[in-house]
Amino acid sequence: MARRIDPQVRRRRETFAERPRTRLWCEVPSADNPYVAERALCHGYDLEALAGRVAFDEMVWLLLSGELPTPPQRELFGTLLTALANPGPRHPATRGVMAAAVSKADPVHLLPIGLSLLGGTHVGAAEVAHAMTFLQRHRGRDADETAAECHAAPYAEDAPAPGFGTRYAAADPIAARLASRLAALEAGGEALAWGEGFAAALAPAGQGWRPTGVAAAALLDLGLPPRCGPGVFQLAAAAGLLAHGAEMTGQPTTAMPLPDEEHHVIEDD
Amino acid sequence: MSSRTTESATERWDRNRGIIRTRKGAWRPGDTVYSHGHDLLRGLVGHVTFFQNLILNVTGRLPEKRLADWLEATFICMSWPDARIWCNQIGALGGTAGVSPVGAVGAGILAADSRMYGPGTVRSSTRFIQEALRLTRSGWPTERIVREKAVRGRRVVAVGYSRPLAPADERIVAMQRVATDLGFSNGPHLELAYEIEALLWDWYNESINLAGYIMAFLSDQGLGIEEIYRLYATCVNGGIHACYAEAADGGHDTFLPLRCTDVEYTGAPERPVPERGSVR
Repeated sequence: MARRIDPQVRRRRETFAERPRTRLWCEVPSADNPYVAERALCHGYDLEALAGRVAFDEMVWLLLSGELPTPPQRELFGTLLTALANPGPRHPATRGVMAAAVSKADPVHLLPIGLSLLGGTHVGAAEVAHAMTFLQRHRGRDADETAAECHAAPYAEDAPAPGFGTRYAAADPIAARLASRLAALEAGGEALAWGEGFAAALAPAGQGWRPTGVAAAALLDLGLPPRCGPGVFQLAAAAGLLAHGAEMTGQPTTAMPLPDEEHHVIEDD
Repeated sequence: MSSRTTESATERWDRNRGIIRTRKGAWRPGDTVYSHGHDLLRGLVGHVTFFQNLILNVTGRLPEKRLADWLEATFICMSWPDARIWCNQIGALGGTAGVSPVGAVGAGILAADSRMYGPGTVRSSTRFIQEALRLTRSGWPTERIVREKAVRGRRVVAVGYSRPLAPADERIVAMQRVATDLGFSNGPHLELAYEIEALLWDWYNESINLAGYIMAFLSDQGLGIEEIYRLYATCVNGGIHACYAEAADGGHDTFLPLRCTDVEYTGAPERPVPERGSVR
């Protein structure tokens, strides 16, 4: 049977914006060149006045939320960013940056490489977004009941729900301690508290928080939407990825392992 | 799953510490390069096309040439030089900003991993047509599939139908011609895809799009969802290359330059920065 119709292709009658709009940033043109910005404002604050008065984490919060953080918000946000600042040299994202650096990739590509590899559903930025959605849907429900449901229909082999489970067949003790610490802060809210209960319900199975889940819960308690979660997770980790790349750049290619033929085995199907 | 860190629990990782086990291939210095059991330098180079080799690398199976030729034609259809298209625009912006071709084309390819167009639509559109055929075989009439699975309210939600910017897709005609010339006939997924299209066109004036056609065709060829997604990972590169090259050759900041006032500010009016500590 052939295709039944042969439609005429016409462009839809959609109205596109004549110019982009933003509530984040205003560039005031100079008097003699409309392309040159004389001043820049971030959510109404003069950029040059912000520089030197607010720290980088406060600036990030201002950009994302539209307001400078309150002390409790800054405490939670800053603690989270610091805790997530390095995925560590065994994370695939960091290893990718190190491999690129030692193989003399252009340094401008190191962060994009690392951030792409930090975008996965397994202990990566995509898992943060999924975890935020999961927490939004389930917080307020009975944690034990939810844990039983998740074990019946797990998110992944090693994760009953996004943001929770195991790493290398064990619960992550660093993530667990971070979650407890963040939950005790003044800005810690419903998501972190519910996550603590959910992690406790998973504990008999040897499971618990993953760092992605901690990030998701903290960001929800700070009022950020799931669409911001992956990027904040990547932004925080960018520092560690950059540092590992910088450390490896300039070192000889032999500074990283490269398995010999005996350790690169072709196996039959 | 219990996750006690016993020796047996970590065995799956210990087995691969310091060793790569592969069914894909390897370079053997002084000998040759092996790819999926083939001697790449003697058996593949000069004997198979780039797209046959691509399918081999993704699926592990060396396809007949006509399937690779069909795939190549879809890559041409998936990517053309129009710098208004989002992924191409990103390539052009990279060009005007002095980004390397690798950085700019890579960025454009990432942009097309989208829910709206490009390879990002592969999983959902393939799932839709494979599920639709399963439902057909279990007795659902096509009308019911359309009403219950393809639309929500009056909006077409089945990925693989409808299209950004235009309700129809001229590339289907071109690809149907290519498929016919190569000797392919429509399989059950594509037949059903066209039946669904006919209803959607009658009811909502929306047609199948290229992704919907491709996923139905490749499902008929026996490819799986992940195989198709992997095959199409870089499918938009052609148009990005073109738009990058023109913008890179055009000089810095010359691609769609914006005056300060070409961006509309809708945020807070100017306000003084609090002294350090005053917001605490």
